Amino acid sequence: MLSRIIIVSASALKGSGPLGAGLVQASRSLHTTSQSLAPVPPLPEKGGKVRHGIFPEEIFQLLYPKTGVTGPYMLGTGLLLYMLSKEIYIINHETFAALSMGAIIFYGAKKFGPGVAAFADKLNEDKVAKAQEVKDVAMASLAQAVEDEKKEQWRAEGRSMIFDAKRNNVAMLLETNYRERLHMVTNEVKRRLDYQIALQDLHRRMEQEHMVKWVEKSVVGSITPQQEKESIAKCITDLKALAKTSQATA
Amino acid sequence: MVTSFFDQFSSPLFMGIPLMALALLLPWILLPTPSSRWLNNRLLTLQNWFLGMFTRQLLLPINHPGHKWALILASLMIFLLSLNLLGLLPYTFTPTTQLSINLGFAVPLWLATVLIGLRNQPNLSLAHLLPEGTPLLLIPILIIIETISLMIRPLALGVRLTANLTAGHLLIQLISTGLFVLLSLQPAVAILTGALLLMLSLLEVAVAIIQAYVFVLLLSLYLQENV
Repeated sequence: MLSRIIIVSASALKGSGPLGAGLVQASRSLHTTSQSLAPVPPLPEKGGKVRHGIFPEEIFQLLYPKTGVTGPYMLGTGLLLYMLSKEIYIINHETFAALSMGAIIFYGAKKFGPGVAAFADKLNEDKVAKAQEVKDVAMASLAQAVEDEKKEQWRAEGRSMIFDAKRNNVAMLLETNYRERLHMVTNEVKRRLDYQIALQDLHRRMEQEHMVKWVEKSVVGSITPQQEKESIAKCITDLKALAKTSQATA
Repeated sequence: MVTSFFDQFSSPLFMGIPLMALALLLPWILLPTPSSRWLNNRLLTLQNWFLGMFTRQLLLPINHPGHKWALILASLMIFLLSLNLLGLLPYTFTPTTQLSINLGFAVPLWLATVLIGLRNQPNLSLAHLLPEGTPLLLIPILIIIETISLMIRPLALGVRLTANLTAGHLLIQLISTGLFVLLSLQPAVAILTGALLLMLSLLEVAVAIIQAYVFVLLLSLYLQENV
């Protein structure tokens, strides 16, 4: 029974405003789930500022209020002189080896440093550019797809016009075909009729010629020699008469 | 206390505590850890690029089963490279000048390649002992010679690295001592010696890089023969 009271009071406590929520949450441990690790804070873009390649800028800022601008340099010089004079650092052959190696490192850093840094930056930029390109290509293709879809919709509106045009086209084709056939039929019929006419003409002509020939033949055959003599004597008397009349007129 | 030029190669001790482990661990402290971010800072980008390029180039002639060695060869290269280059700084100890360390790298890795070869393809591994096209009479002698050459490989690997680095360091010490002494006596000659020291230092940087690369390259070659 007491446990029930605790449970009821606990749920009442949870809903009872800021203090109540805090009292219940205090038992939960902090920053353990992976949810609290995201989003990860961004990396600093550049490394810590350094002066002369090795000394962090913070030392200079630290000493500035007390010793001004030349403070750290005095510190460095003093330290060096102290170590040399107290023979904490002894100049021996290693110093010269260190100097020559330092010269090589310095020369290398000065000459190839910016090139190498630019190369590293370019590697990163290429990576970003590749990903960006994927995104850009995807976006461009999607925009293109939207445009194409709009065009297709516009095309779909003109559907009925296409159907009408096609219908007209087909009707015209049919008409043309019909006319051609009609023309062909007419030509064929005319040809046959022309043939019949030519045939009849030929018949009549042949009949005519035949008849003429027959008449000529019978006329020529009917002229007997007696008739021929008589006609010739008549012709002579006619001629004489004509000659007399002409002589008389002349 | 009489110091000699070979004191720089003695195993470092500090109040009786050997510091060899520290000397071997130093490169690990200086190299950046790969992170899970997509874009990294310049140092990490360069390291990743270099490792990728190097491993790809090294594993090019090796067939597929040999690609298991990619990690150990790449890490060996980085290790030797960093040890050699760090040893060029003054007052540092270079572990790769110790024959023990170099033989400790060479013998196990070489033996691993030989055993892999003998286990997986014994005929082919033994066939490497006889080059192609040898006259019949020379075969026995040549096999003996090739076996000796095989056995001497780890020694050669280790001693090559040791000798190159030790000689380089010794030369630097000698010439810088000469420069140091000559500076007060004959400054003109000292200038020439200084120039020589500069060029020698440049050579030593090159040698450090090349020797590390040669070590790993030869190991990859032995691997290629046997895998």
